[in-house]
Amino acid sequence: MSEQKARSTFDPSGVGTNKRSKELGKIYVWELPVRIFHWLNVVAIVVLMITGIYIANPFVSASIPEDAYYSFLMGWVRYIHFFAAFLFTANLLFRLYWVYKGNTFAKSNPFRISFWKETWETIKHYLFLPNKKKHYIGHNTLAQLSYWIFIGLGSIIMMFTGFYLFFEPQLASFFGGFFSKLGLIFGGNSFSIRSWHHLVAWGYMVFMVVHIYMAFREDWLSRNGTMSSIVTGYKTEKEEDIEEKGKQAEGDKSA
Amino acid sequence: MLKTKQATVYEEALARGFSRRDFLKMCTTLAATMGLSFKDTDKVVHAMESNSRIPVIWLELQSCSGCSESFIRSTHPKAESVLLEMISLEYSEVLSAAAGHQLEEAMANVLQQYSGEYVLVVEGSVSDDEFITIGGRSAKSILEEAVKGAKMVISYGSCASWGGIPAANPNPTNGVPITKFIKDKPVILVPGCPPIAEVMTGVIAHIITFGEIPELDHLGRPKAFYRHRIHDKCNRRAYFDAGLFAESFDDVGAKQGYCLYKLGCVGPTTFSSCAEMRWNGGTSYPIQSGNPCIGCTEKGFWDNGPFYTRRAKIPGTQTTINPEKVGLAVTGATLAGVAVHAGVTAVVKKKNESSEERGES
Ligand code: SF4
Repeated sequence: MSEQKARSTFDPSGVGTNKRSKELGKIYVWELPVRIFHWLNVVAIVVLMITGIYIANPFVSASIPEDAYYSFLMGWVRYIHFFAAFLFTANLLFRLYWVYKGNTFAKSNPFRISFWKETWETIKHYLFLPNKKKHYIGHNTLAQLSYWIFIGLGSIIMMFTGFYLFFEPQLASFFGGFFSKLGLIFGGNSFSIRSWHHLVAWGYMVFMVVHIYMAFREDWLSRNGTMSSIVTGYKTEKEEDIEEKGKQAEGDKSA
Repeated sequence: MLKTKQATVYEEALARGFSRRDFLKMCTTLAATMGLSFKDTDKVVHAMESNSRIPVIWLELQSCSGCSESFIRSTHPKAESVLLEMISLEYSEVLSAAAGHQLEEAMANVLQQYSGEYVLVVEGSVSDDEFITIGGRSAKSILEEAVKGAKMVISYGSCASWGGIPAANPNPTNGVPITKFIKDKPVILVPGCPPIAEVMTGVIAHIITFGEIPELDHLGRPKAFYRHRIHDKCNRRAYFDAGLFAESFDDVGAKQGYCLYKLGCVGPTTFSSCAEMRWNGGTSYPIQSGNPCIGCTEKGFWDNGPFYTRRAKIPGTQTTINPEKVGLAVTGATLAGVAVHAGVTAVVKKKNESSEERGES
């Protein structure tokens, strides 16, 4: 990066004022497994969120009153929640594996100083302050961090607390015992563990809002097909950036 | 109160005019209460025939004596048979006839005479020294002295087990559970405010029968009585699964016996035998009689939010919030923030574009 001088306060494409070639090319960013993961996760989270809110606060009642015999509303909602939870878990485990297996855009390594430096630059960029944020074809490091926190840590908390709640009726069982021990991290008693589950769930809502906004914003400013890329896998980027990324990827492999 | 000769439980019972048949009946009830299978009844009988009564010291610290009150209302087995035949209660402030120096002296004797044998029962939490003194000594020092020679410790009630009401926010006396001062003795937590009488006697019966502490769960409670959630054994559970909820205490649903979830029932987070053993000799329990469970056996009881609403606790604090309301508000705030950010982005983009144009022309 020769042009590492502080750029103007706002520089959506990250190229600055220096004249570089404007030739565009297509680059395969999101591999098929990543895209499948993404959309399965979307479905799972939306279903989990709606059913979860119903379980926490049943906003409609069964339409047939009198006898409990004729309806099974809460029962079905809980079943759906559980099925979605298993889907969510399996999906996430797969994605963790893909952090190692996938292409350079599927990876992230927060254990580098440059990761945090770049994150800081990105934060300044989003606050419209002078910054040295470079252009990322994949995710910028701030975005990567948000995935580690919400999709990584958040999901792990949701899974641990969720499976505790799932096995709560049989704490004497193998899994019940396992997850109740894990539950000690979250305060040990049922109410604390449940509280974690409820609070972190709303963290997802916040994440979703910001995530969707950021994706649209990137698409709008960079005109690089961010929105369609999560369906097709391809982004339209400048040839130079693509080449640079190619070199980096080589470096990743040899490292 | 001091006994020199050690009669077995059976002998005690005979001496009090029990017949062999009554004795066997008592043993069968006990086995059932402890959750043993019917064929294990003979173990209980054998234990009662060969073991002598267990000396018990019952301390009351920061408590309301509610646990003692509950205990003496045990019906299976009857409290008097527990008190008179199964244990020899050497020290209890509520039940003792003696008082003052006599009682303190008796306790000092017991601590010596039965050192290593007696079971220490504690009710109530421990406060800072200036808040409780009994016979001129602080709660903490009494507890620590009594623990030294104890065979095991039973912590009756939520106060002794978790801190309970005295330890609730803002905890003016710095109340702490007794477990904080007991490091090298087995402790059985029997939480509840108060615990069910039969649970209390059941734990004692187990100790007499097997001479050891019952199987405990990951929080130190006897599995026999705390392995189930109320919600999983609740008589209103069918209505929960059906999606039929009472919306207020005086609506049709409440009359029909609908689930009390929306009235703040915390049965789903409460482990206790209420729904199975019920209270007052199996007559009823709160949910059955129309009041949502308030979760008195759970850690942090009294800090887990108001009784009749559903709440979530912010980890590490004693603050509870309504997660849906707060969650919606936070999401709304995020949306607003995003809108502002989008607006600023648009303005800056415009400005940049026009300055670029000017720069180029
Ligand atoms: S009344 Fe309470 S414990 Fe019973 S089913 Fe409803 S929520 Fe569960």
